[in-house]
Amino acid sequence: MPREIYAYKCKKCGHVHYPYRMVCRNCGKNEHNEFEPVPLPKTGKLLTFTTLYSLPPDFEVPSLGLAIVALENGITVTGQHRIDEPETGMAVSVEVEIVRRDGYDEHYGMVFYKA
Amino acid sequence: MTVRDVYVIGVGITSFTRLEYPLSEIAAYPAMMAMKDAGTRDIDHLYVANMGGGRVNHQTGLASAVVDTLSLTPAGAETIENGPASGGSAVKTGYMAVASGLHDTVMVTGAERMREVNNLEATDFVATLTHPLAEHIYGVTLPSLAAMFTRLYMEKYGVTERHLAMVAVKNQNAALRNEFAHLQQEISIDGILDSPEAMTNNPYVAELLRFFDCCPVSDGGACVILASEEVAGKVDRPLVRLAGVGQASDTHAVHEREDPTDLLAVRRAAAMAFERAGLTPADVDVAELHDAFTILEIVESEECGFFPKGEGHLALERGETALGGKLPINVSGGLKGRGHPVGATGVAQAYEIVHQLRGEAGERQVDGARVGFTCNFGGFGNNVVCLVFKREN
Amino acid sequence: MPVDLEKILRPVDNPMPPFPAKHMKVASGEEMVIRQVTRDEIPSILPHVAPLVWVERDFYDVVAARVYAELLAFYAHRMQDEYVLVAQIDGELCAVVNGRMVNKDVGMSLHTLAMRRGLRIGAHAFAAKMEYHMDILGQKEVLIVAESPIGFRRWMIEYNLEKRFDIAHELGGVPSWALTKELFDRARDTLVVGRRPVPDELLAKAAAAILPPSDPPTPPEDLLAATRARYDPTGTALVLQRWKQEGKV
Repeated sequence: MPREIYAYKCKKCGHVHYPYRMVCRNCGKNEHNEFEPVPLPKTGKLLTFTTLYSLPPDFEVPSLGLAIVALENGITVTGQHRIDEPETGMAVSVEVEIVRRDGYDEHYGMVFYKA
Repeated sequence: MTVRDVYVIGVGITSFTRLEYPLSEIAAYPAMMAMKDAGTRDIDHLYVANMGGGRVNHQTGLASAVVDTLSLTPAGAETIENGPASGGSAVKTGYMAVASGLHDTVMVTGAERMREVNNLEATDFVATLTHPLAEHIYGVTLPSLAAMFTRLYMEKYGVTERHLAMVAVKNQNAALRNEFAHLQQEISIDGILDSPEAMTNNPYVAELLRFFDCCPVSDGGACVILASEEVAGKVDRPLVRLAGVGQASDTHAVHEREDPTDLLAVRRAAAMAFERAGLTPADVDVAELHDAFTILEIVESEECGFFPKGEGHLALERGETALGGKLPINVSGGLKGRGHPVGATGVAQAYEIVHQLRGEAGERQVDGARVGFTCNFGGFGNNVVCLVFKREN
Repeated sequence: MPVDLEKILRPVDNPMPPFPAKHMKVASGEEMVIRQVTRDEIPSILPHVAPLVWVERDFYDVVAARVYAELLAFYAHRMQDEYVLVAQIDGELCAVVNGRMVNKDVGMSLHTLAMRRGLRIGAHAFAAKMEYHMDILGQKEVLIVAESPIGFRRWMIEYNLEKRFDIAHELGGVPSWALTKELFDRARDTLVVGRRPVPDELLAKAAAAILPPSDPPTPPEDLLAATRARYDPTGTALVLQRWKQEGKV
């Protein structure tokens, strides 16, 4: 089964949040957990990016691509990118993969590829 | 409710460098200096700003250690943690305590000891203030957020790597006039930008942001003592009033901001501080901005209202932000040159401004400075504290 | 006839082509020269290495003590196929790097000791050393270890070194890392810099005298402070020591 990263849709006003928060940023009206999880879309547009060379000690790679992407439903997300020559505004596709290993824990997150 | 005026009656600081002393001593040393400066040991309450004692130095409840180290018990004491804006937050809390009439004399001391761990761990420690699920798991660090921000800013407003290098050279070389500053090494545009070796001298930390665009990791402490008008009147020091405080927050995850090139928390905190002080950005003679990354000095100089949005780098080009310019920014070296022990920074900015307004800043004195401003930037712009100071006599 | 014991003890060095000196501009805008030194110059380097033995931070103590021993061994002909490069600004000694040729294919990187900090001088000197092994000696790989976290970040991470953990490095027998020709070629553009030939005047100034470093790392005022920083974050050991000195306990 493909893994998903979820955004949270307010059941009162329909505003979609990512990441999760307990009270809707738009209407402020919902009670605790009145959100419907919706999978984030798998395509979007690269807003900005960087290659990070100074990494936390648990990453055993010399550099890491990071990016902020506007997904096709307008939600913006941060994730890793694996694009050789990134350009702002380019179309990207999203995969959900392991992005960090912390001891025995594996963290899944969004990885952007050239669409 | 009536709000009392709040004055700064004493200041103290340590060298910002690698300090091989216990964290509580790093907090206590500037406090001793400040009490000497104010000529009083009569302290009602103590606020200690610190971000990483529990994680980096295995010391929690720092305020209890500091109040006892200084033998100021039974005065009340608490530790204030607000990320890299801990210092500004603690000064603001001290202001509230005096302004409200709860206390007459309050000590605010900030301290951090980050060099106890190696640089990789220190970077990871600061990175824990990013969003745990939406940012931190990807390996996002503060330099990477600043780098992504820089790319957008360059595309939108025409800021170039040369502007960033100009800030780096201005602030790092300004630090040579500050005996407490961490970096005591002159740099030149030629060496970090133009010579054939420059790109190796000054490699990317996170692309578009280079080594000399980032502040060093430092240990250090700073202290200010705040007091009511009645107490301040008895102290034989030039009278500096903490005229206004402002604080604002923004979304935790940076990607959620509507216009990612805006730092709304800075704009709001600065506006609030100016409103409280009854002053405007045009009144400011000297400012200490939070240049943890060179781009931030340019952007904050706009968001705080000193220059129109998108024109901070032009003012930099014209030399307006250098010592001797229209609005000298970070004549202490800023975070870039003085260093950035996260909990101490906000207090150290206040220390510098008080020094400037008292006319005690020596070689780096801004002539006739009457109004000073500080911006202490927490997270990546998600929690910002601004302060306005005014010389009163 | 007495046996010439010295003849037995003294290794015969294999021929090694000299490292051609190069120069570069560092972040401060100053011109730095990196050149190979001869045996005769070692005595003018040793006095600047010795004080660093007492700097208990960033493993300066371990590195300086070992560098001192290696330089002395080189001077006294007690080490096989060693070379020493220095970095100088206006004659002032800024860094010492050394290594050894194990055989025609393999090099052994020994130490990088920077006497001026904050300008990536150590990184430039290390890159020159790798350049010597790869381009001048024409070796296939260089075995490397780091004693400090700073070194680890500079070499293992920036050059993305390969693990050779089955080979014990000459420095303490710890597991080795290796820089291969391929990795070096990849790093060449970004990490290896310098211009040749060095203008005569600049080279003459450097060769004339090895001047003492102007701002070398110094030990903290309280020697124990550094020890405590590594082992005793609470500071109890330091306070106890002070009390002992003051006769309080």
